[in-house]
Amino acid sequence: MGARERRNNLLGWLFITPPIVIFGIFIFAPMGVALFVSLHKWNLLSSMKFVGLKNYVRMFHSESFWNSLRVSLIYVLGTVPTSVIFAMILAILMNQKIYGLSFFRIMIYLPVITSMAAAAIVFQYLFEPEFGFVNFVLSSIGLPKMKWLNDPNQALFALIIVGIWKRVGYNTIILLAGLQAIPSVYYEAAKIDGANNSQVVRKITIPLLSPVTFFVTIMQIIASLKVFTSIVVMTEGGPAGGTEAIPYYLYKNAFQYHKMGYASAVAYVLFAIIFIFTLLQFKFGEKKVHYQ
Amino acid sequence: MLLSRRNKRHRVYILIIEIILLVFVVLINLPFFWMISASFKMKNEVLAYPPRVFPSKINFDGYKYIWTLVPFARYFFNSVVVSVSIAVSKIILSSIAAFAFAKIPFKGKNTIFYIFLGTMMIPFEVIVIPDYIIVNAFGWLDTYWALIVPFTVGAFSIFLLRQFFLGIPTDLDDAAEIDGAGKLRYLFSIIYPLSKPALLTVGLYAFLASWNSFLWPLIVTNKDEMRVIQIGLKALQDSWMIEWNALTAASTVATVPIIILFFFVQKHFLEGISITGLKA
Repeated sequence: MGARERRNNLLGWLFITPPIVIFGIFIFAPMGVALFVSLHKWNLLSSMKFVGLKNYVRMFHSESFWNSLRVSLIYVLGTVPTSVIFAMILAILMNQKIYGLSFFRIMIYLPVITSMAAAAIVFQYLFEPEFGFVNFVLSSIGLPKMKWLNDPNQALFALIIVGIWKRVGYNTIILLAGLQAIPSVYYEAAKIDGANNSQVVRKITIPLLSPVTFFVTIMQIIASLKVFTSIVVMTEGGPAGGTEAIPYYLYKNAFQYHKMGYASAVAYVLFAIIFIFTLLQFKFGEKKVHYQ
Repeated sequence: MLLSRRNKRHRVYILIIEIILLVFVVLINLPFFWMISASFKMKNEVLAYPPRVFPSKINFDGYKYIWTLVPFARYFFNSVVVSVSIAVSKIILSSIAAFAFAKIPFKGKNTIFYIFLGTMMIPFEVIVIPDYIIVNAFGWLDTYWALIVPFTVGAFSIFLLRQFFLGIPTDLDDAAEIDGAGKLRYLFSIIYPLSKPALLTVGLYAFLASWNSFLWPLIVTNKDEMRVIQIGLKALQDSWMIEWNALTAASTVATVPIIILFFFVQKHFLEGISITGLKA
């Protein structure tokens, strides 16, 4: 027995060595490196200079940092409720006995699998103030043409639209799966008790769906906190920093200004914010395990 | 009489829902329509106002342009090399690890597995700077190494495959052991053939994520010939002679292969998403 145990131990550890190496070098070590660098001043070329917590202090006094927090906050507030409510409505509709469910599932998922860079280019074209389709639609229903990406606030609004567009399919699919997992017993009982449609949705569907809804909301918050590609392609943080969300602010400081220490500190703050939401999901998300 | 009236009302109700969903599907896919339509227009037609729905004549200027202005074929090639390498590597390395977690009893197994899962909680944006420093120190900037190696294995793939392997009945393990097959032989001769759909799904996820990845290729490649297609899009956008028909043509080339691939595998894919969403 001892020999087999030893062989299994050896084999088991051997098999998981590649991930251990890769994760060690590219995920765990970097966590330590990021912390270390954040306590220094470094531009990649000259040697590092230890500055303790100065980077963090500078961050909290920095107007551009607070701006990036503001932008990220508005982006999250703009994308999360809208996206989740939209997805919920869609999921409930798709959960009815309709024809062509697979077709709808595929078609709403297309934006999710396409590259954000390509989509962002197309949206930039659609939002063009002079000849873009969006302004054309607005003006044909009597509304004034908007400046979109040329205005700091409207640009953020445009990015929010893109953000919602990109992930609503994913949210819907997950919510739909959650809806389909609700045992029909509940619905049958409700029908026997004489509940009408709206009561069923309010008192049964939505409460029973709440763990999945919670999950989708947290996932969307985290995704929105990480918004990056659309900003790089559509606005580059502008105009006037109006779309400079935290990840872009991080990128700018690290790879354009080469302030590696300061950027690492910003990275850690971003990590802390995202981690809070990850923990929330961990703690309050219900885990339903189905055994066959 | 009463029954047929209720039936009819139900049918109308379903019809209304179908129409709403159809409208939504059309709306959400409008950007793709415009992308493809604009890519076939001539460069002044693409700026026309009011915007024309269809090009007056199918014109390939946009497509011709992108191959000449930047090495677009090279960008495409790079994306294929990188994404296929990552997909294949993830299939192999993740399945081996997942097999160990699912089917080999060894000390510390569960602890290590939870640590692996923990890597999924670390957002990439946070470790991107140190990763850059490390890759720079290895001298891998502007090489395929930088683009591929960090992604040769992933916790998500390991998680998915472990779930799948756990579903394979232990009777099979016992039978193999009684027959004297070692774990390795068991993996190759029995587990792998049984797992083709799961392995394929993992490969597709990996390919897709890699094809669409933007932040990492942006910072580890600078030389034009090492750019992947997503960064190539940005390079095109920055070039001073660019027109909208060329940009949308480039976007089309970057997107359509993925969409076609997706249509072939969407069944597995969407089921996989639903399952991981529920189990998470």
